[in-house]
Amino acid sequence: MRGTFLWRHRVVLTSGLLLLLALHLLSAGVAPGARAEKPSLALMWMLKPVQTAEANIADDTTGFLHDYFDLVNVRQENAQLRQQVATLEGQRTRLAELEVENRHLSDLLELRDALAMRAVAARVIGADATELSRTLILSEGSRSGLRRDLPVISTEGVVGKLIAVAPNASRVLLINDHNSGLDAFDQRSRARGIIAGLLNGALTMKYVDRTEDVKPGDAVVTSGMDGIFPRGLLVGQVTRVSQEGPGLFLNVDIQPAANFQKLEQVLILIQQPTAIAPNPKG
Amino acid sequence: MRLLALYAIATLVALALETTIPHWLPIGMLAPNLVLILAVDLGMKHHGALGALMAFAMGYAIDSFSGTHLGLNAFMLTLIYLIAYALSRYLISTSTAIGVVVVFIGAILTGLANSIGSAGFDVGPGTTGLMPRLALQGAVSALFTPLVFSIMGWGKRVVGLRARSVRE
Repeated sequence: MRGTFLWRHRVVLTSGLLLLLALHLLSAGVAPGARAEKPSLALMWMLKPVQTAEANIADDTTGFLHDYFDLVNVRQENAQLRQQVATLEGQRTRLAELEVENRHLSDLLELRDALAMRAVAARVIGADATELSRTLILSEGSRSGLRRDLPVISTEGVVGKLIAVAPNASRVLLINDHNSGLDAFDQRSRARGIIAGLLNGALTMKYVDRTEDVKPGDAVVTSGMDGIFPRGLLVGQVTRVSQEGPGLFLNVDIQPAANFQKLEQVLILIQQPTAIAPNPKG
Repeated sequence: MRLLALYAIATLVALALETTIPHWLPIGMLAPNLVLILAVDLGMKHHGALGALMAFAMGYAIDSFSGTHLGLNAFMLTLIYLIAYALSRYLISTSTAIGVVVVFIGAILTGLANSIGSAGFDVGPGTTGLMPRLALQGAVSALFTPLVFSIMGWGKRVVGLRARSVRE
């Protein structure tokens, strides 16, 4: 066995077969619920406790850093006073953190009531494993009633849609990912277009007719025509409109309403809307 | 079996770090590709069918937490495993310096593959400055390579594996 061709070239042959398998996965795509997706969901399920623990540690570390910087100015004071300040500052930071979290949750509750549809609140526990794709990992999954393609929003605006759902965690594709696309319109001029992400994480509105009157500062909201997002949710604000060459369309840059780097809690809308939903901010 | 368990645990830890730290600290492209470093370590020091399978599984694990194309990172990590294997075999060396170079090139190749997988060959405004960003991530990953190799070497000694050129 050891002297045979197959044995001598086993690494190259195995790698070749695996490369073909990977290409097959890539070219065929993976349908929701397909067998090829199951190990991926199992991995999400396995890693969720670790990610949740790390997210908790990250929160505590932020508090610790705040404490440190606050203490720099009182180094000259005596040890007892320093101890008291440290204790008080620690408590203050924790209280402030609790207050912020409380405010976020209250805002989410208000938003859920305003939307008049069933929604699940989830915590952001992780981000994409590579910097070039833009996804977030959420703390809720199919056990909470979530499924693929459900819209995800925050108190600020549209966040994205679910692309993978494990029993206890899920992954959301952000609207600024290059593979994302949602139907939206300019609230003032009613010009329609497709909101898409760029590789650098910026947001653009594609296919806006060059005759449309789109201006910087205009609010862009979802149209509800893509069958995923309810109509009227705030996507962002137009920051720049340009027209290069003889093309048919305008280049419209959008500043997203939601700050994806600072997202801590989000809402996943479960029921599809029957009526026009109000803007998250108003 | 011990090898499989060691790399499985290391991959899970690396993935947990890669998916959480960049969200809480705005380090962007300064985040090293830890799983890629593990695949290079595997390719340089463990020559067998199991090594290739493990590299594929590592890539699949990244795909579970990244982007929308299942199989893209599985393809890239298997390819990089193969490159690391071929280099260490033909240069008859498992030196860390070679690993650093392979990680640097591998990180850029993986980044390029992810960009192409995501945006195709569309040269839009979002692609400006892509190569310097990928080179930066490659350099950061290369900087972390000796540390990860040392940790894996220590792990192998703890579980009773030979640290160099194991043929399963």
